[in-house]
Amino acid sequence: MTTLHLLSRSPFGTPLDSTLRLLGVRDGLLLCGDACHALQPGSAPLQLLEHLPDSVALHALAEDLEARNLMAPERVRVVDYPGFVELCTRYDKVNGWL
Amino acid sequence: MKFAIALFSPPHAPSSRRALRFAEAVLAGGHEINRLFFYRDGVYNAADSIVTPQDESDLPAQWRAFVERHALDAVVCVAAALRRGVLDSREAQRYGRVAVVPTPPWELSGLGQLHEAAQSADRLVCFGGD
Repeated sequence: MTTLHLLSRSPFGTPLDSTLRLLGVRDGLLLCGDACHALQPGSAPLQLLEHLPDSVALHALAEDLEARNLMAPERVRVVDYPGFVELCTRYDKVNGWL
Repeated sequence: MKFAIALFSPPHAPSSRRALRFAEAVLAGGHEINRLFFYRDGVYNAADSIVTPQDESDLPAQWRAFVERHALDAVVCVAAALRRGVLDSREAQRYGRVAVVPTPPWELSGLGQLHEAAQSADRLVCFGGD
């Protein structure tokens, strides 16, 4: 059973590590909204993401990155809304961290 | 694939816009939405009385147009709606209030509708947060 985790809250207001601890090795993560700030170069949240096993796929929503003038590191796949939908079909479940 | 979509945030939250764009992409991708469920502050998206400033996206109007265009099943949690003063004509009459806010295609109903939608959909996707 694989799960796509949706994160939308800022990693600076909500601790990211408690969420990441619950990720399965084949799970995926989609950063959207203020959660995209986790990709801020040199930040503690980015370090946490970089330490995830390679089997955990990282994604970020394109328009939310653009709105924050953020660039995705090489490991992070940038998706648009059709890509977001496609991701949901690829995992068994979708878990939104509200 | 069948999607159930639940929205927990008010119209002015970015996640409400994200939910709508996602819902549009679901249908554009040839998938089906078996139910939209508006919960907690998400019930405000069904409030016809909301007047959005002219220089902002009018999410309640956009949701209504989307639901009507695709004849979707759009359920507003009745308990969440009542505590926020979002009353349709039946509830306004029941409680002796003058407010009449959501009109069809919105339907006030119970949380069981979310459970039922989650059971019959292939994926439940919830939107909230920032």
